[in-house]
Amino acid sequence: MTVSEHAGRVDGAELPEEAAAAQLLRVENLTVRSRTGQTLVRDVNLALAAGQTLGLVGESGSGKTMTARSLVRILPANVVSAGSIWFRGAELTAMSERALRRLRGTSISMVLQDPFTALNPLQTVGEHLRESLRRSGRRDRKATTAEIGQRLREVGLDPDAVAGKYPFQLSGGMRQRVALAAALAADPDLLIADEPTTALDVTTQAEVLELLKQLQRDRGMAMIFITHDLRVAFSICDRVMVMYAGSIVEDAPAAELDARPQHPYSLGLLLAEPPVSHYVSQLSFIPGSVPAADSVAAQCSFAARCGWAAEICQVRRPELIAAGPGRQSACVRLADISEELQLAVEQQPTATAPRRAARGEGSLLVARCLTKTYRTSSLTGRARTTVALQDVSFEIGAGESVGLVGETGSGKTTVARCILGLASPDSGELSLAGIDISQYRNLSKPRLRQARRLVQVVFQDPYASLNPALTIGSSLSEALAAGPDDGTRPAVAELLEMVGLPASYAGRRPAALSGGERQRTAIARAIAVRPRLLICDEPVAALDVSVQAQILELLRDVRARYGTSLLFITHDLSVVRQMTDRALVLRHGQIVESGATAAMLDNPQHPYTIRLIESIPPDHRSGPVA
Amino acid sequence: MADVLTQVRPTAEGVRRRRQRMPVLVGISFVAATFIVVLVLFGQWLTPYDPTAQNLRLSSAGPGHGHWLGTDSLGRDVTSLIIAGARVAVLGPLIIALGTVLIGATLGIVAGFKGGLLDGVVNRFADLLYALPGLLVVIVIVGVVGGGYWLAVAVLIVLSVPAEIRLCRSATSVQVRMAYVEAARVLGLPARRIMVRHILPNILPTIIATVLLDFVGGLISLSSLSYLGLGVPPGTPDWGSLLQAGQSLLQVNPWMSVAAGAMIILTATSMTLIGDWLYDRYRQRGESR
Repeated sequence: MTVSEHAGRVDGAELPEEAAAAQLLRVENLTVRSRTGQTLVRDVNLALAAGQTLGLVGESGSGKTMTARSLVRILPANVVSAGSIWFRGAELTAMSERALRRLRGTSISMVLQDPFTALNPLQTVGEHLRESLRRSGRRDRKATTAEIGQRLREVGLDPDAVAGKYPFQLSGGMRQRVALAAALAADPDLLIADEPTTALDVTTQAEVLELLKQLQRDRGMAMIFITHDLRVAFSICDRVMVMYAGSIVEDAPAAELDARPQHPYSLGLLLAEPPVSHYVSQLSFIPGSVPAADSVAAQCSFAARCGWAAEICQVRRPELIAAGPGRQSACVRLADISEELQLAVEQQPTATAPRRAARGEGSLLVARCLTKTYRTSSLTGRARTTVALQDVSFEIGAGESVGLVGETGSGKTTVARCILGLASPDSGELSLAGIDISQYRNLSKPRLRQARRLVQVVFQDPYASLNPALTIGSSLSEALAAGPDDGTRPAVAELLEMVGLPASYAGRRPAALSGGERQRTAIARAIAVRPRLLICDEPVAALDVSVQAQILELLRDVRARYGTSLLFITHDLSVVRQMTDRALVLRHGQIVESGATAAMLDNPQHPYTIRLIESIPPDHRSGPVA
Repeated sequence: MADVLTQVRPTAEGVRRRRQRMPVLVGISFVAATFIVVLVLFGQWLTPYDPTAQNLRLSSAGPGHGHWLGTDSLGRDVTSLIIAGARVAVLGPLIIALGTVLIGATLGIVAGFKGGLLDGVVNRFADLLYALPGLLVVIVIVGVVGGGYWLAVAVLIVLSVPAEIRLCRSATSVQVRMAYVEAARVLGLPARRIMVRHILPNILPTIIATVLLDFVGGLISLSSLSYLGLGVPPGTPDWGSLLQAGQSLLQVNPWMSVAAGAMIILTATSMTLIGDWLYDRYRQRGESR
């Protein structure tokens, strides 16, 4: 196959300027399998021109990271890839490891997700950069130091302040900037960024995205940007490829994908993101969860979760077909359903007034002047104190849902831990339904039992929330046994049904459940004792986009059914909009703003709240339609 | 690249076999362990001769005359002595391992779970015991008090407890921070229930591995004591004492020392390998997400 034929197929005939531009990277029929025979990525084709930004979007297990890693040929030992990868006309799969290493250091660089483990803890920032610069040869020591300074300034860091520091002395955002500076040190033609902002706070994410965009533009560097977040992808990419269960299901220019998704899965992803601009009474989600690539090898991978699935979807695997100028979709029924897809985008539920929760009489939880400091002693014996909470006062009414918003280190989790009795405040009052719970250990036994039943929690990490050694059934029956015994105690099967899981799950262990299913189980365990207050500590932050809305709907359902009050701890303002009546914004252990959710998000007062709201990548549906 | 792929397309069966396949060495270890267990349980019916029967006319003989490993200075059959010695050689270490794990795991889990003052006290206690030179202390105590096998066993338990405490405490403190333990606390479950039902099963791989290591440690220590003539009462067949008794016969019948030493090495090695393998296996199971 000639280059021009290939370019025509991938880029579409309507984009002659791209076809003409020197193709930097071309991937044909890339397939990645684990050595145990599992398919991780199937038949991926892509082309990237110099200076272009390509987004790979997909949920966990979609194969986006494996795709990126096979491009630079750094795959885990138990994984093999096949297919051809051409970088500036050279076939990478035929290259020796030695030649590849040179290429990786100079022409292709990578930035990884976790800024906390990507840097060597024993090397200073300057040493990291020196190492990266050395790879590109040349320069004496003095010139290198000057170069390091310039590189750090480029990513917005002050070299005098930062170069001598170790990674642990830097914040997450600063570390990611250092990693970025190191990746850019050799002036690569292609930067592969694998979820570079996922582990960062919203405001930091906005800054790093802006920086990436600017650097990419200034250098004319090509970029492959991997993310699970469509909003982030749209804000930074020219083209977006949507991956699902190991294959690409749609490939389109970012703005067009945003305005006119041509695959039911892309549509589902677009709709599944809860809007931050308005309340929606029924959150849309994709039922089910992502299948393994092999289980859907001979059919449309999305058929089982697709509302438009027909017989034809089950019989063979759909190819990517042209779906308009410069875009492709892997939906065989596209011709039939494309109008319906368009309709679904336009008919999104618009602003619905949030139903006012009937506020019961009085307050369920009252917190007054909560203060908490943590002391850590350093090696030199000097104690360092960190103020986690400072004079935090708030109330939660019966049946009310209150959001607690804040970034890492704002103290929001400390509030939850104090209410749950997992930590004790240094001073301040905390009372739950009239019981003083500021010091759990001072409570008498019956009082403690009573308090324990009043408040329950759903944690962030679905993988750590359940005891791996116990079956779902025994975890739940244990929780039920801890609840009130008034003859109406439900059976485990009923409890599972309440959270939308089949009764047969009782015999399974957590390892056999998906993240969303585990979170449902955690919710079931929490509501087993019929608490009056349910604390949700980032309950959807670790879940895939298409599953998040399922869990949010379930929590709404729990609240409507039992009149449970919610304390919703999150960094995600769209979740706050959808789930809460009132919100508190916490910063450095202090509440900086509080008020009705809608009013606060529409008309924020405190500068910090304003910054939080401005940091959200622009809502793709409220922007101008291309 | 393409032909690499065709090579690695194992069937589902292949996948299963890969996961379950046991390394050859571990397989051999299991065979050895079974052999030793059989000797311990049924040894008294397996001895070709009465291990106490003396035959002075055939003393210190090499292999032959119906004696596979020859005889000792009193003409007793070495094979029978080795078989009869298995019970004493294995029983002591077994008690040491179980006693250590019972005390050490209990203290370690409680310290790791409760934290605070209790944790401090338990840890300082462990530090204190750590500071003692193990075998030397046993030799002194057993030597001064005038010995006895069970005293040696008891002292060895006390000496191996600190390592067990530390391991269990650190394994527990990892689990305590996990969300599922916090959820159990929020449910108001009693501390004992959380420790037994939630924490214990999740640190079991570590505990199993240390039980076997404690066993091996006990085996070596007790054998050393018997070798020095301190543990077992004189006359009782035991691998350590046989090793020592065989030393004077090295010129005429080296097989006595060789066989006793080989049994100690075989037992220790196989238990260590089995412990490693079990640990890996159960840890992987716990981690599979």
